[in-house]
Amino acid sequence: MPTSAKTILICEDDQHLRQLIRVVIGEDFHYLEAHDGEEAVELALAHRPELVILDFMLPKRSGSDVLAAIRREFPPAETQVIVISAWPDADEAAVAAGADAFLPKPFEPQHLEAIVNDVLGDA
Amino acid sequence: MTTGSRSPSLSMRVIAASVALAVLVALIFVVLIDAMAALEDSKQREAHSQDVVLETLAVQKLVVDLQSGVRGLVITGDERFLEPWVMAREALPTRLAALERLSVDNARQRRRARDLATEINDYIEDYTVPLVNLAREAPAAARSEVAREEGRTRTDEIDDRIDRFLKDERALAAASAASADRQSERAKRLAIAGLAACAALIALFGVYLARWIARPVREVASAASRVAAGDFSTRLKAGGPGEVGELTVAFNRMAAELERNRRELESQNQKLRESERRKSDLVRIVSHELRTPLASVLGFTSVLLTRDVGPEEQRRYLEIINAQGRRLSTLVNDFLDADRLEEGELELSRRVIDLGAVVAEQVQLFEGQSTKHQLDSFLPKKELRVDADPNRLAQVIGNLLSNAIKYSPDGGTVHVMAEQVDSIVRVSVRDEGMGIPEELQEGVFAKFFRGEADASGIPGTGLGLTIARSVVEAHGGRMNFESARGKGSMFWLELPVAAADQ
Repeated sequence: MPTSAKTILICEDDQHLRQLIRVVIGEDFHYLEAHDGEEAVELALAHRPELVILDFMLPKRSGSDVLAAIRREFPPAETQVIVISAWPDADEAAVAAGADAFLPKPFEPQHLEAIVNDVLGDA
Repeated sequence: MTTGSRSPSLSMRVIAASVALAVLVALIFVVLIDAMAALEDSKQREAHSQDVVLETLAVQKLVVDLQSGVRGLVITGDERFLEPWVMAREALPTRLAALERLSVDNARQRRRARDLATEINDYIEDYTVPLVNLAREAPAAARSEVAREEGRTRTDEIDDRIDRFLKDERALAAASAASADRQSERAKRLAIAGLAACAALIALFGVYLARWIARPVREVASAASRVAAGDFSTRLKAGGPGEVGELTVAFNRMAAELERNRRELESQNQKLRESERRKSDLVRIVSHELRTPLASVLGFTSVLLTRDVGPEEQRRYLEIINAQGRRLSTLVNDFLDADRLEEGELELSRRVIDLGAVVAEQVQLFEGQSTKHQLDSFLPKKELRVDADPNRLAQVIGNLLSNAIKYSPDGGTVHVMAEQVDSIVRVSVRDEGMGIPEELQEGVFAKFFRGEADASGIPGTGLGLTIARSVVEAHGGRMNFESARGKGSMFWLELPVAAADQ
């Protein structure tokens, strides 16, 4: 079902983690990958993804910057954002900045899966 | 250390001032006592003169008695009228002797007293006694005799002598009194002058104490409170007499020592804070850097454990897990090394090795890791013998190779060269990557320095080169680089050739 497949933008500078996220979420989605903040904003604006999985520590532009740019363009109902961070206490800041969910790094694949299903199910 | 002016000590000054004061007071008392003694003496002489005068007047009265007794007898012929003459004649020798005795202190008066006594005796014996006999035998002849001038002349002569004697004695008494007055006046003036001098000296002494002791002490006290309040830059003006000078010098030394100690403490505190900050940086970076590979390891193992995965994927995931595990191990080692460097505890197990072989081994390890990069090594056939810890040098070379690959993200050739020049072994690693802009070159070997790596998405801790340079320097070598933005970098290290090979 390529036409109805939802688009997920993965913004993460580590290629193995990008791969892990894809493996965990599964093949039913259309994936976009950004390995720095600038690329993340470009891809988000160009493709209007249904879900953005965003590492808060990104090269070139920080995750919160990217989140702010996304939230300026798209209403929360249209694009869900899951923030992943190595700082477990960044959750409040992430939610305050407009994130729909927060996932501390390292994460359990099941946890990521559940959150993705949760936010996409709501949409 | 000098006390400024070499002035006598304060205690010496205070003692000298007290002694001077005591001597002055004693002198004043001596003068007063002397004046009082002189006054007493004058008084005594005055009283003595009075005695002399009284005695003389008594003699004069007795002489009158002689005269009147003889006259009474001659005129009346009655023996009863002779009574005063008899009594005066009896009393006079004692009186005259007493008068002479009283005049013994004045030679002139004494001579006069003696002359007076002779005169009176002559008058009694040569005139009155024959006249008395005549009056008894021939009263008429005696009466005519009395009428003659001789008796009067003689008594006038005696009166004159007595008058002169009295006049001189009164003059002596007046002189004594005047002298006593002068003495007492002088004593009064001396006492007033002495007391004024004492008062002035005591006042001066007080001013001196206030100026040279109390004021400096007050200054020291106020300076001490300033120091106590934390102003360690407080200093007293050096100098002052004796002990005060020593006090100011000692105080200044104490304040300087306190200030130095405080600065030392502050700098230690600064270092501690710095070290604390570095430690917390380290913890922050460690936790962040470890989480990314850890996420891969945990994530992929979890996937392998919970899902059905084909053999090809299994192998790929395991390779990722393996590589990320190694990355974790390297990170942990780097952090440990950084910590050891911090504590200055880098241990080396050195022996003579062939550095060329170490380089070759590392090149081989890195060759397979990147498809985009070409490793081009130029190593001599001859052994490059250095006295070194092979594992540590392998770590250094590995770090240089890994950096060369990491910082040339678009690929390219990495040139590795090792050679011996005289007594130096030199290894260089050159890449064709992004290079280091000039403004960032200064910090390249600093701990946690990442340059533009974070912005470029190149992972790392900023510890590798710090550790590498420390290791090389611990071997007695040196390490540096040449680079320009966009033109790649060349890092090199130099180690001394092992001693036996020189």
